[in-house]
Amino acid sequence: MQKQWSSEKATSVLRPTTPLDIGDRSQRQRIVDAIIDSCAEKTYAATTITDIVSRAHISRTTFYKHFDDKRACFDAAIEHCIEQLQEVAAAAHSAEDEPGDAVREGATAVVEALAARPGLAQLLTGDAMAVDPKAIERYRKATIPAIAALWSALGGRARPHTDPRIAFGQAQVLILNQIAAGEADRLPDLLPEIVYLAVSPFGGHEEAIKQSRRAKAAISGVLGG
Amino acid sequence: MAFSVADTPEDLRKWRLPRGRHGLPRELVERSQRERLLAAVVRVTAAKGYEATTVADILGEAGVGRESFYELFDDKLDCMLAAHKILIDDLERRVRPVYVTDGPWPQRMRAALAATLDWFGSDPEAARFTLVELTAVGPAFRPVFQAEFARAIALLEEGAGEDGPEPELAQANELAVGAILARIYEEVVLGRAAELPRLLPDLAYELLVPFIGEARARATADDGA
Repeated sequence: MQKQWSSEKATSVLRPTTPLDIGDRSQRQRIVDAIIDSCAEKTYAATTITDIVSRAHISRTTFYKHFDDKRACFDAAIEHCIEQLQEVAAAAHSAEDEPGDAVREGATAVVEALAARPGLAQLLTGDAMAVDPKAIERYRKATIPAIAALWSALGGRARPHTDPRIAFGQAQVLILNQIAAGEADRLPDLLPEIVYLAVSPFGGHEEAIKQSRRAKAAISGVLGG
Repeated sequence: MAFSVADTPEDLRKWRLPRGRHGLPRELVERSQRERLLAAVVRVTAAKGYEATTVADILGEAGVGRESFYELFDDKLDCMLAAHKILIDDLERRVRPVYVTDGPWPQRMRAALAATLDWFGSDPEAARFTLVELTAVGPAFRPVFQAEFARAIALLEEGAGEDGPEPELAQANELAVGAILARIYEEVVLGRAAELPRLLPDLAYELLVPFIGEARARATADDGA
């Protein structure tokens, strides 16, 4: 992606390929990144507009050009997090996978993405709960049908096992607990549990345990990935 | 329940000490004031939300003066966390005797869940206060959440007993606490706390599956339902 960008740049003198609103878009993204990082450090409740603008290196006026208030900025950050995680999960498996394997791979990629950027996890667990439970519902609605669709697309038999909504909540609480303990970098330790929760509602307990074992083996390097 | 001293505003008024020189020992006056303030912070915060609640609101509800408040608490947060601790202690007092006792582990786990659902269901204000409003206090949320989560896990381990399960998942207890928290949180947010006890069979099933598999979990969950 980087390479492509530089080769385009070489021809950009005569044929500008940069969208006219690139400044606005990157400003907006900087603001979103800033609120995510600030929430990760001191939670949403303690984050001020001043924190956001100083992190984003923009003026207050610029902030208000993009967002009406802190809450609107937060909502945009939630959307951004959900999109990021959806992309990560979608890229993590292939169409030839068994459904259980595909869900395990998707869940693993999401947990790794959260460990790499704990701000996302903080936002989607603790802060989303504090600000508006609808934010969690929004993430849940983006997640559960996606797994269900993946499961049936890959030929998994659909019979109801456990409630995926509870599994989603459990995963969220586990992640929140890890973040609250200040151990975001150790989120991958939760992989056996998160994979279990992702598989269990669709594939049942036995399949979930099987995938959980694989996740565990991958962490300890036995399978190497 | 925890605040049997003042369950309703009527009780609260009854419990007000006479104004002026009443000749009561200082210690008793302070205890009564403290109890009224703690009951008030729960009621006001559950109704208005933590952020919108002011010390003045708490004083008005409790019928206690500002000076007395600051003799007993540092600030609103201090008062809130004190009330929170009392409630969680009370919850543990309800759950412990039915869980840390004799009998088959799955049944004791089911009984612990029943006691938890009854506790939250019998006092929707306390439920909202302990679960939902705690997330709004800012950075103080994380250590409190983490400590209480650890406390719940410790209780589960303590009561596992000799016939306790040997789940394959290392964090099965965390999963169980997560299921309870996430499910109760959702009902409380939707204003359905009073109906929590009805969730017992379904939630018991969800809780037990990771420990003992689907068939045994189903059998235990439906016990006496």
